[in-house]
Parts: sequence; structure tokens; C-alpha cells
Amino acid sequence: MSETRTIRFTLNGRSESVAIQPHWNLVELLHHFGLTGARESCGQGLCGVCTVLVDDVAVSGCLYLAVRVDGKKITTVEHLDEGGTLSPVQQAFIECGAFQCGFCTPGFVLMTHQLLARNPDPSDDEIRHYLSGNLCRCAAYPEIVEAVKLAAKLQKQAR
Amino acid sequence: MIPFDWVEPRSFAEAVASLDPEDPTVRPVAGGTALMLMMKAGVFTPTRLISLAQIEPHYSAITVEKNGALRIGAMATLSALEQSSAVAEHFPVITETLLTLSNVRVRNVACVGGALAHGDPHMDLPPLFAALGAKVLVRGPAGVREIDVDSLYAGYYETMLAKDELIAEVFVPALNGAKSAYMKCTSRSADDWPALGLAVRFEVEGHAHIRNPRLVVSAATEKVTRLTQAEDILKNAEADSVVLKRAGEAAAEEVTLLGDAHGSASYKRELLRVYLARAIRHALAGKSAQ
Ligand SMILES: Cc1cc2nc3c(=O)[nH]c(=O)nc-3n(C[C@H](O)[C@H](O)[C@H](O)COP(=O)(O)OP(=O)(O)OC[C@H]3O[C@@H](n4cnc5c(N)ncnc54)[C@H](O)[C@@H]3O)c2cc1C
Ligand code: FES
Ligand code: FES
Repeated sequence: MSETRTIRFTLNGRSESVAIQPHWNLVELLHHFGLTGARESCGQGLCGVCTVLVDDVAVSGCLYLAVRVDGKKITTVEHLDEGGTLSPVQQAFIECGAFQCGFCTPGFVLMTHQLLARNPDPSDDEIRHYLSGNLCRCAAYPEIVEAVKLAAKLQKQAR
Repeated sequence: MIPFDWVEPRSFAEAVASLDPEDPTVRPVAGGTALMLMMKAGVFTPTRLISLAQIEPHYSAITVEKNGALRIGAMATLSALEQSSAVAEHFPVITETLLTLSNVRVRNVACVGGALAHGDPHMDLPPLFAALGAKVLVRGPAGVREIDVDSLYAGYYETMLAKDELIAEVFVPALNGAKSAYMKCTSRSADDWPALGLAVRFEVEGHAHIRNPRLVVSAATEKVTRLTQAEDILKNAEADSVVLKRAGEAAAEEVTLLGDAHGSASYKRELLRVYLARAIRHALAGKSAQ
């Protein structure tokens, strides 16, 4: 029973293969690769600190079994500055000071990427609604909303 | 979490065959969001999980038929349902309900079959689908059967499904101009689950003559429950404030409401009285959700 299984997947652009236990979740898998941008905080799908993109779709890594990523593409926050430049979303978060301790920031940044990919020009309400599954204990919410709007502007200029 | 076996059948039939009618530690898993919470809390300890993620893709299809009826494959994600423009056009009440259900990441992963089979009375889709007159198509070793969503639930976290049966599809009959609304009232408890859920569907003749009402309460009750006595009061009546008040009072009398962290039983009785009229008025005004 419950042997290890070997899964293959793309992690931030690189092919990987690893033997895992079926009960590992996605955060545990990423920690195995030394990636700590996604962390388990609430562990219940509520806070977004564990946000990871699987086949370009945001999931809560704390509720997502690692065996499920077999054959899929995983993108983490560590991949956003690929090539040495910060993404417009990352730049906007810095510019607006959209964090204090920074614990929640990777999750907010990834979710903002997702939001802007679907809706390049979101209203304040749309931003708040889309990000309602991410919690910031430092309550940097006003700055985060500003940062999303600035990121939208930066992305438009970059096009 | 404790180790378990993970099985990934390639077909729905194979998945049904992998289930065990006797062993409650063998379970199917769709998105896994609800099961993961139960496994982490230690209330469910599987020996084997049967993943439905690799079964035939048509079990994720969402189709609005020519006559306006809706078929949803059990493995369609809640996000796919939320983003379907055909659903938004024909069943705006479903789209609006999904926008208030959990958060983007959970909806990206959770599936309609999981949302209906879980059996937590606080959830949003079971009462809504029950009010809409939806059925689930269920397949087990003995073949296929249909279960009305309004009689799918046996109790708290309990369904009428056998342990070796799977939901294949949900069928929602066409609205054909019928009015519908779903409302929930959240009393700001730490877990954010609602104190009351209320779904309504009815046809209207003339200005506000109600035909064939279906009223369903959730969250405050042990399971999703039809409000048949309130339905009888509304049937063929003009939905004026006197009738709505009587229907609200009948509803509050006919079901057992449970007091818990979201509110006492008497508070929920008051909520049900108020929300019944509110949901009917919302539906009449064409505003379906809050
Ligand atoms: C943070 C968070 C917030 C939430 N907020 C809300 C909310 O506001 N409103 C709401 O309604 N819900 C909410 N939920 C619950 C959520 O809707 C459920 O977790 C989800 O719908 C379950 O779907 P799943 O595919 O992940 O199910 P799974 O976890 O895979 O399965 C759930 C149950 O269904 C069974 N099952 C799955 N598929 C089938 C099938 N095809 N046939 C038979 N049995 C099957 C499984 O064996 C299991 O018993 C929330 C959940 C989380 C984690
Ligand atoms: S740790 Fe996963 S959502 Fe909070
Ligand atoms: S910046 Fe501290 S939690 Fe958000």
C-alpha cells in the first residue's frame, strides 16, 4: 500500500521527475525543490499564501495533492522575474508599497497576474472580488488595489 | 496526513469498478478540495482514493440544449460553469451564485459532482439545483438511475448515493421564463458559512400570480429541504405582502432549524421568514442573487 510514485512535470520551464508519496500536497512538492514562495499558512484554501499556477490556472497548493500535477506545467512566483526583470505586477507592488511584512505578497502577485490575463482593465470592485480569497494580515489592501491598477497600466504600456 | 493509495482510472466505467460498496475508506475524488479539508482535519482517513481527473473529457462538458435545458458533466469545474456564456444567458442565477461561492482558486479546482456529492448543508449549489428541479444522473455497477437533487440528501453530510455509485451528470430543466433566485445570509461567523440559504423558482402569470413554486432551504437545516407548506400557500396566489408573510410563517414552522455558531434556531426562524419574501421579490424583479 501507498508506495511512492514517480511523477513528471514542468516546473518553471524545466522538466522534472521525482518520486513522491501520494499524500504530499503541492506546497510540500515545491519545498522539496527548494521553492519557498508558496507556503502553507491557513492550510484550508482561504488565504492564498500557497497560490501556485497549474497549467496556467491558480490553485491553492495546500488543498492540491502533488500526484495531480503528473504531466502538467507548474509555475510559481519564482518564475516571474525569469531573465532578470521583474514582471509589471511585481514592479507595481514595489512602486505602490503594496506590502508590509510581505508574507502574503507572492500569492497576491500571482493572483493579480491571473486577473489581468482575464481582465486587463479591472474596476476596484472587480479587483476586490477577484482577490477576496487572499488575506493580508498587515491589511495593505488599499495599496494592493492601487498596485493592481498600476500593473494594469504598465502592462498596457508594455504592449 | 496518513499515506493512502492513489488510483487514476482512464474511464468512468473503470472508476465505478474501482469503488468498493462496503469500504468507506475508499472514495472517489474530483477536485479534492472538500476531501483534503476532511483528511487534514483527520475526520476522513482514506486507504484508497479513486481520482476522476483522467476519465473521458465529455464528463466535463457543459451544454445548453436547444430547448434551454442544461447538462453539466460531473467533472466540470465550478470556474468553467461560472465562465460559461451559455449558462450566463440561460441561467443567470447559476452564474451569480457561483460568483459568491468560495474563491477563485477553489472554483478553479472543485467540480460540480463534488459540490453535489459532499452533502454539507451549508453549500450553495445543492439548494439552488434542488429549486431549479435538477436531477443527477448516477451510475453504479447495476446501471444508471436518476435522483432529483431535492431528494439527494439523507442527512448531515449524507447522500442517497451508494458507495459504489458516481454522479455522471447534472440535468437542469429549462427555465422557460420562470423566475429564480438564491440568497444566503452570512452572520460573519469565523468560518463564513451562511446561517441560511434559500433558493426559489416559480413561474409567473400576469403581474405576480405564482405558478409551480419550488422553495428550498439550506444551511439552517440538517439537509437541503423543500418548503412544501410555504409552496402550497404561494401556489396560484398573488405574491402580495400578506401572502408572502403567510408563506414565510409557514416556512418557519414546517422545518426544524438548527442553532449553531452561525445563529440560534430562533434567529434563523426570523431570517427564514424575512428571506422568503425577499427571495421571491428579488426573483420577481429579475434580480436573482445578492
Ligand atoms: C476555502 C473554501 C471555501 C469554500 N466556500 C464555499 C462556499 O462559499 N459555498 C459552497 O457551496 N462551498 C464552498 N466550499 C466547498 C466547496 O464547494 C467544495 O469543497 C467543493 O465543491 C467540492 O468539490 P470537489 O470537486 O473539490 O470535491 P471532492 O473533495 O473531490 O469530493 C467531495 C465529495 O464528493 C465525492 N465525489 C466527488 N465527485 C463525485 C462524483 N462524480 N460522484 C460521486 N461522488 C463524488 C467525494 O468522494 C467526496 O465525498 C468551500 C471550500 C473551501 C476549501
Ligand atoms: S495556505 Fe492554502 S490557502 Fe491558505
Ligand atoms: S504584507 Fe504582511 S500579510 Fe500582507
